[in-house]
Amino acid sequence: MKKSALSAKDLMTVGLFTAIIFVISMAASMLGFIPVLMPFLTVIVPLLTGIPFMLFLTKTKKFGMITLMGTLCGFILGLMGMGVYWVTATGFIAGLCADLISRSGNYASAKKGVLSHAVFCQWAFGSVIPIYFARDAYFAKLINGGYGEEYAAALMRYLPEWSLIPSVILGFAAGIAGALIGKAILKKHFIRAGIA
Amino acid sequence: MRSDFFASSKGSAQKIFDPRTKLLMVVTISTVVMADSGGGWMSVLCWILTFVPLALFLIERKWKAALIYFCVYWGATLMQLYLLPLTTGVVNFLLVAMSFFSVRFMPGIAMASYLVNTTTVSEFMGAMERMRVPQSLSIPLSVVFRFFPTVSEEYTAIGDAMRMRGIRFGGRKPAKMIEYRLVPLLVSCVKIGDELSAAALTRGLGAPIRRTNVCEIGIKPQDVFTMAVCAAMILLFIFEKI
Repeated sequence: MKKSALSAKDLMTVGLFTAIIFVISMAASMLGFIPVLMPFLTVIVPLLTGIPFMLFLTKTKKFGMITLMGTLCGFILGLMGMGVYWVTATGFIAGLCADLISRSGNYASAKKGVLSHAVFCQWAFGSVIPIYFARDAYFAKLINGGYGEEYAAALMRYLPEWSLIPSVILGFAAGIAGALIGKAILKKHFIRAGIA
Repeated sequence: MRSDFFASSKGSAQKIFDPRTKLLMVVTISTVVMADSGGGWMSVLCWILTFVPLALFLIERKWKAALIYFCVYWGATLMQLYLLPLTTGVVNFLLVAMSFFSVRFMPGIAMASYLVNTTTVSEFMGAMERMRVPQSLSIPLSVVFRFFPTVSEEYTAIGDAMRMRGIRFGGRKPAKMIEYRLVPLLVSCVKIGDELSAAALTRGLGAPIRRTNVCEIGIKPQDVFTMAVCAAMILLFIFEKI
């Protein structure tokens, strides 16, 4: 086997952290049922996933692991009914970009790691694409699907079209904050426990 | 519900379907049922599809899972029909969210849990290999599915431990709360993951050869039939979209 190829152990690490990050993201996303909180999901989720992601980075030394994780996260979220193509695509792109950033820091640079998490956090972006780019269709789907006029209108009110760019920027900032928290926790707990 | 996903014994559970068929069923249900936009004959079809996981649970004698699925799904459906028109405002939002989550996602989740609970990792890997899926996808995927039950199990256990020490959600320091929950969760998951990969390496995973598999998987008549039905459903679905 070539040295650069991912070993079975690397692949299992990817699977493990994908599961953890996915479960945490989903648990936090349950808050999105309350329409007011929906726009803040892009902030809450990165704050939480920073911890597992930074731990994941300490185990990542080869190109491809972060890409794979982003793609898998997107794919599974897609299977859960968010439209497989969009989320898988954004998962792949976000993962790839995060991977390239980490690689430019040789998978050892702390600053690049933080940046990498901020980029990675955009993986779930695909799930909101219909809200912004196919707005009328999405609105109609909510009402036809029986969510009710009131709920759909509230969701649309809290997610106006102009909120796209701020939400991406906020998500990015939260990604950086989450990664910094993650790094602090890493130093406080995991390195001492010997698993980082 | 204890997960049988990693059980290596063939046990009492008879294998009705090939893992590939189950995977296709999950994809079918999650695309067709969840994308149901309401109205028309497609809705009737979706409604029929929601009984599939229930039937499968009953066939596999997973009484508890069948009961939970039945109660949640029909409870939510009834709530949607009779309770929602009566409420407004915040209560309405919460009920809408809860009931629609259950109606929309429960069939897919139930189907996925059927897949996870009736398939062993070896069978899953065997099926993936037969489909020529590269290992770089099949290994992480099987680990992910193996770990979903573990993460939630560990999370409950840690929650119990924290409650015993009087640390609970809604306390004064939410940031501390997250630390106290996430850190132990990560530590135990990483430990379990290390053990898992040690076990898998012992079984020759990652060796530069083609692995053999003792699991009896293969396409049987019922698989062909189910796959045909799934394919037909997906085609109908695409047809209706256009």
